[in-house]
Amino acid sequence: MTIAAEEEMPRSKRRSSLIRSPQFSSLVILIVLLAVFAVADANFLSPLNISNMMAFLPELGIIALGMTLLLTAGEFDLSVGAVFGLAPVVVMLLVQNGGFDIGIALLVGLLLCIAIGAVNGLIVTKIGISSFLVTLSMLLVVRGAALYITQGFPLKSWDQPGFFVTLLAGSFNIGTFRFYTSLWWFIGLSLLAIYVLHYAKLGNWISAIGSNRNAAVARGVPADAVKVWLFILTSALAGLAGMISAFRISAASPVAGTGYELEVIAMVVVGGTALTGGRGTILGTIVGALMLRSIRNGIVLIGVPGLAYNIFVGVIILAMLILHALLQKNAARN
Amino acid sequence: MEVLRLQNLQKSFGSVRALKCASFALNEGEVVALLGDNGAGKSTLIKAISGVFPVDRGDIYVRGQKVSIRSTRDAMDLGIETIHQDTSLAPDLSIARNLFLGREPVNLKWLGVFAPLDLAKLRDAAAALLKRVGISKKLDADALVSTLSGGERQSIAISRAMQFAAKVIILDEPTNNLGVEETHGVLRFVKEVRAAGHSVLLITHNIHHVFQVADRIIVMRRGEIVAEQTVADTDLLTVESIITGADMSALLKETRAK
Repeated sequence: MTIAAEEEMPRSKRRSSLIRSPQFSSLVILIVLLAVFAVADANFLSPLNISNMMAFLPELGIIALGMTLLLTAGEFDLSVGAVFGLAPVVVMLLVQNGGFDIGIALLVGLLLCIAIGAVNGLIVTKIGISSFLVTLSMLLVVRGAALYITQGFPLKSWDQPGFFVTLLAGSFNIGTFRFYTSLWWFIGLSLLAIYVLHYAKLGNWISAIGSNRNAAVARGVPADAVKVWLFILTSALAGLAGMISAFRISAASPVAGTGYELEVIAMVVVGGTALTGGRGTILGTIVGALMLRSIRNGIVLIGVPGLAYNIFVGVIILAMLILHALLQKNAARN
Repeated sequence: MEVLRLQNLQKSFGSVRALKCASFALNEGEVVALLGDNGAGKSTLIKAISGVFPVDRGDIYVRGQKVSIRSTRDAMDLGIETIHQDTSLAPDLSIARNLFLGREPVNLKWLGVFAPLDLAKLRDAAAALLKRVGISKKLDADALVSTLSGGERQSIAISRAMQFAAKVIILDEPTNNLGVEETHGVLRFVKEVRAAGHSVLLITHNIHHVFQVADRIIVMRRGEIVAEQTVADTDLLTVESIITGADMSALLKETRAK
């Protein structure tokens, strides 16, 4: 069941389809996971740990929002982790070595991300090469560029407070909790994404393109243009997330974000969005982002050896996907 | 009254002349069957009319007005709706959302593609439409298209075309892969469409279906229209022989004479 169908249903039916929906089962598992971690280690729900999780969450979560829209339209982007690394490196180089104003440097970084997304999108739609291959190549190009322009070394730390730093990575305290402004970015962008995907005309187009591109095109939906803009959006969000991260730790590294593309895709599909397109859920993605974040955090806390912990992450993701597949089968049988 | 007229349409792909020269007219409230073997140029012809690609030469007239069709959008705006077997609906969307795909009712129109869908209107219009075409009892406007049978999907696609007051509805192999009962349902639906005053261009391989619903038959072979006859004036064997190019009726006469 997609959310798309939900908001149009009478209440009783809405409730039963909500319970069967993939994002609901993800939510249940998230709650179970949180409970297990909380029982296993008292520190899991401590203000410090929650603050920590909330600091990391938006950085991957913001990319996951763009990736959800892109996956719903039937494409995906493997270059987001590399863009996450390149954008801050370029911005910081312009500021530190080029003497540019941070505002101008950020603008250049944004334009660069837009260009990368546009190239991805245009090659995928106009030449018709699968997005897997195009963005895999782009991953290498972008990561290679980040390594080359920095000669492989992290940049010197840059710690000048200012408007943009506060805007992207400022922090504030609520009681004993410490939150970063990036959390507001994540919440705001999530609300926007929910609106666009489930309530706006564009969302109807995105789902239709991923579900049956030819049908959408036959109805006059500009499928290629929509896809190109989604590639641009995903790339720009990856750059934004990279900037947030770099500002938070006051440093830019050419290897930042390595492997993030797969983690982001995992968040999205664990949340219930179909890898094959057509069915997407932003709420599911938020649940998925929370889940992967708390798994990474929780299994360290409960004492799983550091080197073993990818095993657990992988197994939990697999279990989630199997569960979704079974639910899907079950729904089809009814 | 004449709704659609094609005059000397030509289309080549490289050195292949897919459409050598095609001219015919379609009248209001008429079902015309377009027949031909694989590669006869049927799909090239309907793709040209529905705006998938432009023709190299030739003119298209809608209600006497010369028009240029450059995109599927142009064709839709002129009242020409094409329904393909597999490409007409998005299975992950609800019936209501499919019915209005590309023409969604929205609030705050100035927001462009970001405008919010008018969900109440979408629901009501979809329910009214399903009721009008007589499938309201079985189908819920909120049901996902993936839960429907092939025949139901065809009915939805055809009723969507009717909804937008299409002058010409092009049905591309509407009964392919359908069961016997579903096929009858779709053919009955075609008759209703005609009764409602729409014109239908029916592309099919099944000549039996043609004789059940069509008023006129047009046969294509190697990119050309080779025959045009009213159903009353011809019979199955004749049509079959024209399609294949073998003169079976002559053969039949011979055997009868013996």
